[in-house]
Amino acid sequence: MTTAIIRSDDTSVDDATQRAPLVTGEHDLASVTSVVSSVVEQPPTTTGWKIAITISSLLMLNLFGLLGYLIWTGVGVWGNMSPVMWGWPIVNFVFWIGIGHAGTLISAILFLFRQKWRTSINRAAEAMTIFAVMCAGLYPGVHIGRVWVFYWMFPIPNQMAMWPQFRSPLLWDVFAVGTYFTVSLLFWYMGMVPDLATLRDRATTRVRQMIYGIFALGWRGSNRQWHRYERAYLLLAALATPLVLSVHSVVSFDFAVSQLPGWHTTIFPPYFVAGAIFGGFAMVLFLMVPAREFFGLKDLVTMRHIENMNKILLATGMMVGYAYSVELFISWYSGSYYERFAFINRALGPYSWAYFSMIFCNVVSPQVFWFKWARTNVWVTWIVSILVTIGMWFERFVIIVTSLARDFLPANWGIFKPTWVDIMMFAGTFGLFLTFFLLFCRYLPMIAVAEIKGVMPHGPSTNGHGNGSVAAPQTASP
Amino acid sequence: MSSLADKARQKPYWRSLAELENTPEFEEFLQREFPVAASEYPQGVSRRRWLQLMGASFALAGAAGCRWEQDEILPFTQRPMGRTPGVPVHYATAMELSGVASGLLVTSYDGRPTKIEGNPEHPHNQGATDLYAQASTLELYDPDRSTAPRHRDADDENGQDDDDPAQLWKQFESQLAKRRSGWQATSGRGLRVLAEPSSSPTLWAARQKLLEAFPEAKWYGYEPLSRGNELAGSTAALGKAYRTHFDLSKAVRVVCLDADLLGSDPASVRYSREFAEARDPDAETMARLYVVESTFSTTGAAADHRLPLRAEQIDALARALEAEIVAQSDAADVEQHGKLAEAPHGGFLAEEPIVKFVHEVAADLVAHRGQSVVAIGARQPPHVHALGHRINALLGNIGQTVSYTAEPETTPADQTADFAALCDELRGGEIDSLLILGGNPVYDGPADCGFAEALSNVEFTAHLSVYDNETSRACLWHLPRAHYLESWGDARAWDGVYSVIQPLIEPLYNGRTAIELSALVAGGETKSGEELVRQTFSELAGSDASDGAWKKLLHDGFLAESGWATETPQLDEGHREAIDSYVIDEALLSVDPPGGDDLEIVFSQDASVYDGRFANSSWLQELPDFMTKLTWDNVALVSQATAKALGIKHSTLVQLAHGEHTVDVPAYIMPGQPDGSITVHLGYGRTAAGFVGGDVANEVEPVGVDFYRLRTSTAPHFARGLRVTTTNRNYTLASTQDHFAIDPVGIDGIEDRVGQLIREGTLDEYKHHPDFAQHEVHHPPLESLWDERSYEEADYKWGMAIDLNKCTGCNACVIACQAENNVPVVGKEQVRRGREMHWIRIDRYYSGDVANPRLVHQPVTCQQCEMAPCEQVCPVGATAHNSEGLNDMAYNRCIGTRYCSNNCPYKVRRFNYFNYSRGQYGKFQDTESEKSLVLQMVRNPEVTVRSRGVMEKCTFCVQRIRTTTIVAENERRPIADGEIKTACQQVCPSQAISFGDLQDDNAEVAKQHASPRAYAMLAELNVKPRNLFLARVRNPNPHLEAEATNDHSHHS
Repeated sequence: MTTAIIRSDDTSVDDATQRAPLVTGEHDLASVTSVVSSVVEQPPTTTGWKIAITISSLLMLNLFGLLGYLIWTGVGVWGNMSPVMWGWPIVNFVFWIGIGHAGTLISAILFLFRQKWRTSINRAAEAMTIFAVMCAGLYPGVHIGRVWVFYWMFPIPNQMAMWPQFRSPLLWDVFAVGTYFTVSLLFWYMGMVPDLATLRDRATTRVRQMIYGIFALGWRGSNRQWHRYERAYLLLAALATPLVLSVHSVVSFDFAVSQLPGWHTTIFPPYFVAGAIFGGFAMVLFLMVPAREFFGLKDLVTMRHIENMNKILLATGMMVGYAYSVELFISWYSGSYYERFAFINRALGPYSWAYFSMIFCNVVSPQVFWFKWARTNVWVTWIVSILVTIGMWFERFVIIVTSLARDFLPANWGIFKPTWVDIMMFAGTFGLFLTFFLLFCRYLPMIAVAEIKGVMPHGPSTNGHGNGSVAAPQTASP
Repeated sequence: MSSLADKARQKPYWRSLAELENTPEFEEFLQREFPVAASEYPQGVSRRRWLQLMGASFALAGAAGCRWEQDEILPFTQRPMGRTPGVPVHYATAMELSGVASGLLVTSYDGRPTKIEGNPEHPHNQGATDLYAQASTLELYDPDRSTAPRHRDADDENGQDDDDPAQLWKQFESQLAKRRSGWQATSGRGLRVLAEPSSSPTLWAARQKLLEAFPEAKWYGYEPLSRGNELAGSTAALGKAYRTHFDLSKAVRVVCLDADLLGSDPASVRYSREFAEARDPDAETMARLYVVESTFSTTGAAADHRLPLRAEQIDALARALEAEIVAQSDAADVEQHGKLAEAPHGGFLAEEPIVKFVHEVAADLVAHRGQSVVAIGARQPPHVHALGHRINALLGNIGQTVSYTAEPETTPADQTADFAALCDELRGGEIDSLLILGGNPVYDGPADCGFAEALSNVEFTAHLSVYDNETSRACLWHLPRAHYLESWGDARAWDGVYSVIQPLIEPLYNGRTAIELSALVAGGETKSGEELVRQTFSELAGSDASDGAWKKLLHDGFLAESGWATETPQLDEGHREAIDSYVIDEALLSVDPPGGDDLEIVFSQDASVYDGRFANSSWLQELPDFMTKLTWDNVALVSQATAKALGIKHSTLVQLAHGEHTVDVPAYIMPGQPDGSITVHLGYGRTAAGFVGGDVANEVEPVGVDFYRLRTSTAPHFARGLRVTTTNRNYTLASTQDHFAIDPVGIDGIEDRVGQLIREGTLDEYKHHPDFAQHEVHHPPLESLWDERSYEEADYKWGMAIDLNKCTGCNACVIACQAENNVPVVGKEQVRRGREMHWIRIDRYYSGDVANPRLVHQPVTCQQCEMAPCEQVCPVGATAHNSEGLNDMAYNRCIGTRYCSNNCPYKVRRFNYFNYSRGQYGKFQDTESEKSLVLQMVRNPEVTVRSRGVMEKCTFCVQRIRTTTIVAENERRPIADGEIKTACQQVCPSQAISFGDLQDDNAEVAKQHASPRAYAMLAELNVKPRNLFLARVRNPNPHLEAEATNDHSHHS
């Protein structure tokens, strides 16, 4: 197993004569396994990881404490008021749901489109999706006034003869987000089964062996198992693909279906999906750029991967920018007075600082990726990914808060001010997200080992890369 | 131990043999179950228990009202005839405010008064009330009311704690008896009584008795908001103290000179109704209103032409107007009244717009001789009132639109002078006893009289008051006063109609009335209020005072034909001298407003807390002021130009210095405020009001600031010499509208749309285009997304119409709705956050010049949309349409997503962010104390109390609809038009709201909907509101038209 080692480190050079390698460094199939597994088995960054998990779990505990406070006291602890009945909680919900898009997009859609470079990043991105959707799902649950009856949203037959009202987009949301979370979780977990089996087999302690063994579901790497696995993976990918598009479209219906100027816009579904992909990729970059550094995965998550993602950022950023301008144009073109006012007010009213922050972060900052040096510079990438994440939060803030703050009757206008609970809970969801992500990095295979082997050159006759199938010709055992 | 049979003879009712035996166990049982007598305040008593008690007490209620003679508890199994538990009964009674009675009809559920309506039969109210009457149920159940007499040195004297109120009353009575024997010796030389003025004949009789018994004693009356200037003015002009009555229904031209006829006037309920009648644009002549005023008032908002002037300048303007009227009138008409000295001229009076204004107003008045009214505000000095009488006489209005009744002897002629005299007497050291009946002179007495300090010279002081307030705390004895809803009494309405006050409930807190206490002081024996009132009635009715007549009085609430006789006095010869002797200072005429060290300060009655007596009412504290939309605070109103000149910023603290005193108060830049004049509202800054209004001793911050400290007996209404210093400290006002400074984009947005939301036109436009309002907004044909509900099968189709032409913005509907629908109070902090809960609100915008804008306003309830956007987005179906077209709200299904509110274009939905109904997070009641449980008694049992996390909104008073539907169905008949009235509709003095079945073409509401003035707000959204507004029609003087700009610029 020492054949066909690719030595080039700079995968971002485009050479028309051959495809750029997806794995760099002196790696063979065995070393890939050990590189990824060693992160789990012998954490190289113990101190840094410990500091990070301490901070993030404290933030998470703060979130749990605040949730208790919120439920005990009432949703009035937030800044929500009349007319801004939905404030930060829903902004954060949409923000997290948006972030939860890239994972499944990378796994499912890029899989179906045979984009093999996805294999290095799909596992982490999917994990990110799961955790982001968890953060998102938290908000609508505790956002309602009477948390203890949240299950009235579900169509559960009951003696009170109550039934949900299916015309409400909020109900669609419940199904869309619920389905998305379930399918994403299944997809992620199923894709991880061969790697979990690898970890089981490499385990040095009985406890590890048992735990990974349970989750590996008895995977033995037989041909039959691989066959079933491949089929199931393909089916789930096909199932997940429409969900990527639907979940954020449905979330956008919460706004588009209402009659509030600034919300009532038909462009919302595609605009939200583009924005979600945009924000999701930014979050993947935000996490993967440091992770590949700390966990020594630069050979697997190569510069070419980062460059590809930056290109997607540039493309989706421009889609989002296009959506912003179309919104402005249509508000003028519609001839609807209230519509027009909503957008003038959004750009020039009391929240113009938020609007222009959004424009700068989402439309202006990704333009730097027209330049290759920027696309291949980890620092530029990381900073832009942070800016885009901030910008996407502002996008939701601008949509939700500015539209509500000034609707039809001026007597109702108000200014929304967040409370400390709003701010700390938002920080807390980052704690939750990062805690789970750090635990994931430490205890689960961060990179899809089995899949990456499929895109590596293997076997004496190959010279450069795999043959396009994900068939992995070896067992998971070393 | 005597035989049981003996005991049984002594006790008419008993519950067990143990009781008859008076065993210790039974004693303990009594203590445990009834710590106080059953009819008294139920400390920690559950609602069920309360209902039992109250229900039982009804079992023993006599035919006369609901007074019962005995305290025994009997089950409702033997209930009296005609009473069904849970079915409310209504009693007529009256509430007296500053000596003026309003006739009320009180709804009582199982012995618990919960809602006040105007007595529809009463000639003064005709079914409407002001907001103070609406809020009085809350005062009845206020846990901060005092529960027992309190002796200042109680702890020192008694040693052991003696909480039994009856015992404490006995202690007071025995001390009083000792005092009485002393007074008998000196004919009462050392005795003074200071009473809140009252028109009660019974109290007057008690006073006469007291003065007969103690001829050397003196009885003074004092209240901070007195009508002394008015009385002095009529004495000067007409020879004696008269009360002026205007008939606004007949007047076609009304000029108010600082007179707030539709707002703070004692007869405002009546005037609002009459004015609304006279403003009918379909009538032959529509009334026109001119207002010259020193502070933007409700009347100013209703005006067709309004001129802001400093209070001190109104005199000069009135004289110029008089001169112009004389000049324009036929000599024959004015000859008999003689001529005044030359009117002032020059200065601001020579300015073009003022000259024109005076000329045109005079011309309009002269053209409508005998059909106009000129009203002078209470704050204007006596000679301006005299001038007002003269103008009305010149215009031939007296006997036509202006009538007079002799001011009753019960009204003190000059309360401020009386008060100053009393203070001097107290300081003189001759007085050993002072009895204060009601009022709160320590708080609201003129600052220069030094009442509190003078009081300390008096040995024996007792204060009868509903609250243990500032004055009570400075007195030796505080005595709890019975609330009007729990006591007997009487009073006269504005026109003199004798109105009776009868109790709805046994006194909750051992209170007694002023009548009872005066009778006790005068006669030395305790007499029941009922006995005393009945005696008065016998004297009034003479030979007709039969039992039947008494019952009829109690049933009707007033004595028919008992109003005072109207008189048509002639101008007194001396009136010219009275007016001319006041020479107007040249400086007053100056065009330039006074500077920052010599501003005018105007003390104004507050629209919420009155003179401060209602400061502990959370409903009133949270009521947004019609003009400022402020709650829980008072401010210094300053004009934009003056603010600019003095560097005052909106919503920052300024220091006002007047005389020796200074106060820090937030500044509020008020459009339409005259330059150089600052208006402040009295009644705030209470230090011993209670948990709501401020109680410094118990660490409850006062609400707002106290301006009585700046108010002197020499200038109780307005004065010059106010110095203003700016501080740059910000102050967050709790406002329900304009929570923030509005930016240019917002101002443009308001300008563009307010004309569409609140539609109005001139009479001229209306005559030419009656449907002008329907052409304000044009939209493409609207298609429904789904089949619309059909009401062909439905029995009723409820709808509402609000006539903007009639609404004055008096706010009574807001409080009525709060009382009817158990709308919670949220407190200042939550209002600042924009979480107020009122189901009906009054939106107001300004338009035109900021120095003298027009004001437009609109009451907004739930519009009960046919295609309700709120219903479509609720995920749990908690809000849905019912078969009669109402947009219902199922509170116990609501989970609180708040989506409905986001989707409501009118934003009429209110969300319980906290457990507001239990006082969570609103610092307006002592939630720790068990006492505050009594507040729950004020709630309407027909309306669900909403919990935390639930959305709520106006239901068109669905409980009233259901109650009437049940009755009608039982009687197998349809509901008649007008049978159901919503709370806001019922209270409305100007009858601006109509409600009923839209399917019935003859229903009032259907007629209103068919009016050409009817329009739906935001009709272009296709939500199809069930409530329509009727556009306002103004009637500007065409000759002053140029001034009344027609541009639709609006700003806030």
